[in-house]
Amino acid sequence: MFRPQFRFRNLVFATLAVGIILVILPFLGLEGYRLRLLSLVFMWAALSGCWNMMCGYSGYIDFGPVAYFGVGSYCTAILMIKGGLPFFFSVFLAGCVCAGLSLAVGFSTLRLQGAYFAIATFAAAEGLKQVVLEWDRVAGFEFFGGAHGLTFPAPPTEIYFYYFMLFLMGLTVGLTALLERSKFGYGLRAIREAEQAAELSGVPTLKIKIRAYVLSSSLIGCIGGVEAYWLTYIIPDDVFNVLRTIQMVIMALLGGMGTVLGPVIGACFLTLISEYLGAKFVYDYLTLVGVVIVIVILLMPRGIMGTILQSKRGQKS
Amino acid sequence: MREVKSQGMNKRIYLVISINFALFLFLSSPLESLGAERPLRFGFPVPLTGAFGKDGALVKDAYLFWKETVNARGGIEIRGKRYPVELIFYDDKSDPPTSAKLTEKLITEDRVDLLLGGFGSSQVIAASAVSERFRYPMTSGAASTLKLFDRGFKYYFSLLGKAPEEVRGCVEILPTLNPRPGTAAIIGANIPFCADAADGFKVYAEKVGVRIVHFELFPMALTDYNSLLNKVKEKRPDVLLVGSHSLVAMRTMKSLKEIDFSPKGVFFSYGPTVPDFIESLGKEAEYAFAASEWTPNLPYRDDVFGRARDFNNQYLKRFGRAPDFVEAASVAGALIQQQAVQELGITPPLKDRDREKIMQFLYSKRFDNFYGPIRFAPDGANEIHPPVVVQVQGGKLVHVFPMETAEGKPVYPMRPWKAR
Amino acid sequence: MLLFLQSVVNGILLGGIYAACSAGFCLAFGVMGVVNLSHGDFVMLGAFITYWLFFLSGLDPFLTLPLTLIALFLLGFFLQKLTINRLVGSPPIMSYLLTFGLHLVLSNLALRAWTADYRTLSTSYSGLNLDFHGLIIPYSRLTTFAVAMGVTLGLYLLLYRTEIGRAIRATAQDREMARLMGVKIFRIYILTFALATGITGLAGSLISSTFVIYPQMGLPFTVIAFCVVVLGGMGYVPGTLWGGIILGVLESLTTTYLTAGLSLALTFFLLLLMLIIRPGGILGKGIVE
Repeated sequence: MFRPQFRFRNLVFATLAVGIILVILPFLGLEGYRLRLLSLVFMWAALSGCWNMMCGYSGYIDFGPVAYFGVGSYCTAILMIKGGLPFFFSVFLAGCVCAGLSLAVGFSTLRLQGAYFAIATFAAAEGLKQVVLEWDRVAGFEFFGGAHGLTFPAPPTEIYFYYFMLFLMGLTVGLTALLERSKFGYGLRAIREAEQAAELSGVPTLKIKIRAYVLSSSLIGCIGGVEAYWLTYIIPDDVFNVLRTIQMVIMALLGGMGTVLGPVIGACFLTLISEYLGAKFVYDYLTLVGVVIVIVILLMPRGIMGTILQSKRGQKS
Repeated sequence: MREVKSQGMNKRIYLVISINFALFLFLSSPLESLGAERPLRFGFPVPLTGAFGKDGALVKDAYLFWKETVNARGGIEIRGKRYPVELIFYDDKSDPPTSAKLTEKLITEDRVDLLLGGFGSSQVIAASAVSERFRYPMTSGAASTLKLFDRGFKYYFSLLGKAPEEVRGCVEILPTLNPRPGTAAIIGANIPFCADAADGFKVYAEKVGVRIVHFELFPMALTDYNSLLNKVKEKRPDVLLVGSHSLVAMRTMKSLKEIDFSPKGVFFSYGPTVPDFIESLGKEAEYAFAASEWTPNLPYRDDVFGRARDFNNQYLKRFGRAPDFVEAASVAGALIQQQAVQELGITPPLKDRDREKIMQFLYSKRFDNFYGPIRFAPDGANEIHPPVVVQVQGGKLVHVFPMETAEGKPVYPMRPWKAR
Repeated sequence: MLLFLQSVVNGILLGGIYAACSAGFCLAFGVMGVVNLSHGDFVMLGAFITYWLFFLSGLDPFLTLPLTLIALFLLGFFLQKLTINRLVGSPPIMSYLLTFGLHLVLSNLALRAWTADYRTLSTSYSGLNLDFHGLIIPYSRLTTFAVAMGVTLGLYLLLYRTEIGRAIRATAQDREMARLMGVKIFRIYILTFALATGITGLAGSLISSTFVIYPQMGLPFTVIAFCVVVLGGMGYVPGTLWGGIILGVLESLTTTYLTAGLSLALTFFLLLLMLIIRPGGILGKGIVE
């Protein structure tokens, strides 16, 4: 039997409190590198949250979300640079393009199970990267910029991106919270627990899966678009990099898959320990991250949030 | 007996803890060291892991060598006092966004006085976008892709020429070879520097009248070059020109031998000058040509390191390997910034105005040091540094072109594999 | 015509390499459902062990094969016993993440120990080739191909003609049933994983004189393993030979007649297509959940 994590009222109250603090932090003197770092945390929380929205609840492990990140980045870039369209509109359109693409991809791959789905989505992402890399030379005209990538005109200052990413993170968390408590969310979880049984009892599994996938992918595309403008320079190897997928997954795992705040916590945790370890242990910190992952999987497989919830549930019964 | 806490309490406690934790990490910052003579702080992001971990480590060593040489005399002499050099660097994992982030960290957190360039075109593009915004001059000796120069930046200075310029020597040598090559095949890895080099090869080949029978860029992820090179072999080019990094160059040589493809000459935009290449491939490295911007036999000199040959020998003594031109160029960049603070009489801690003066100074004149002549064009490229060509002969790199400075003749055509 | 034949031959030989490097992955997935994301690192370790033995004592790479087999067998043994075995019964994502964590640890420890230097191994006979009417066949690749065939055959015999093989297959088919029949599941898993890593390490040794060796060379091999086993059929060990060869020939022909970049793109789209329309592999004998 599933209960929503927290009483809704408490959740809203807590979120507003944290949200207000985050909004006014820049005015309290947060700036420069730390501002950038926190913005990064927001971005990863949002990305990881999107992944969690689909995979944490449905149990379908997607290894290709970076494809939409890349598509979103490139769409935004092309629309802004070549089309001269304004930023917000470009990001929105990029999200729409991702929605369309994910509909096609999802429709064909969401019938696959477990490892096959994972590998299929991975293959789609890598294939897409190669296409973007090769397109210009094959098609004969400048579009994606090949290996050189694309460069944006000068962006607004850091603080804009802080708020953009904060907004995106908030959006993701909010959507996940709503999703969790909705019939849609129950459907997803039913799929995770026992797909065949759900199918038999009338749950339209494919439709639900596709809906979650499209929603998650479109958002990822938007985040990609914002990040592209933030960095002003995108290349295929970077925006289609499988390591981004891995990072999203790990953050969701560390924080707790299938929970609302899990990805946020995972993002904070991983980013901050990477920063700290990366500075102190220049050569060894990736090894340490690997060790942390192994330990977490073995001892705390539900992630930080999940373990807390589990112990609470135990207490109540 | 377990304590029963209410749902809300638990959550609030958790939130408090996590916010505290985050804030703690955020606000804990290193204490400012209050020393007598404040050191001159240089910072740089550099790949120590990832695709360019190997090459990045070379650049780091180069800066280290400069710092040690300078500090052995007590530091940089500015207005009669000596200021030691301090280096702060981080691993950017061969990832451009990380390079940008770390550059910002060096500027805003570590408050470095000046910046140095790391390694790798993509990383340096990202890092220099940040340094430009904060108006910190960045001298870079390890990146040369065209994109670095067409952004209208004022604070980016490259010790290397642009990528197509760097490889110019490899093509200009062709008409001097005997029998004169008439056809060439050009391949390159599809990443910024290598692609630019391949394009450079193409442009200059057309200029010297060499016909291009094949041009192809391949993904960096390709591990097996046999089929690719076999395709090229069929077209029977006189020479093979490769837009490469170390890994690409090594793979190419191995593959050429396996499929028994012996073009009369093989030219690499980068790779053979890295010590690993010769050490690892041994005899299989023989006769490979490479583009370079500096060799120890060149008649350059300065007051810090002496002649080019002296720099080479001291470096060899320190690290057990000879420096390649990227390391030399990186040190030259640091040297120029050193020269700037000395001549302008600027002492640490540096202010924005100081850095602006340095920037203007760097454009104002020609520099000469063990690395050679340096003059920065308005777009930041070094416009008077002549590219050279080296060849692996007898396990050593020999400067073969241009003739005026050559220390040996090129071996052309190269001995076919079966004849070795 | 010669170009075509050469391209096909190159592809087949390359395919042999791919097959050798993927058999272990197939076995691990087929029996335990584990997608081992650190798979490529065992190739890397095998290659390094051979490299160091050659470099320090001049031992010929082919002679090091049994040593790498044993060394990596042991490594896999302990890894499975201490870590992966604990995930039996957990959702598959746990094994992905655990093995990814292992990948980080293995590849970065290697980086720390051996630096990012690129290394190659050249024996007196490396690069030598057989010239057959204009067709160039490098000896080292031919031998690797032969050994790959041998290994696949050996594995097949082990799985289908021995008692222990039967136990492994039984466990793969139905864990609970096998347990009821008296098979010690956890031990079988340890043995299987150790076998998988041992073979993969051996493959690493095989390719040590052909490819450039460096600590991060593992990840591409993991990706290749994905492709090969999907083509050949997940869990169907003899299928890796087919899968590898098809992949190799496809890559080779596309590189020769189109471009190298497109060959990679095509590989991935083929993979995607296979999964959508025929997840059981070319021969359809793979495990379809």
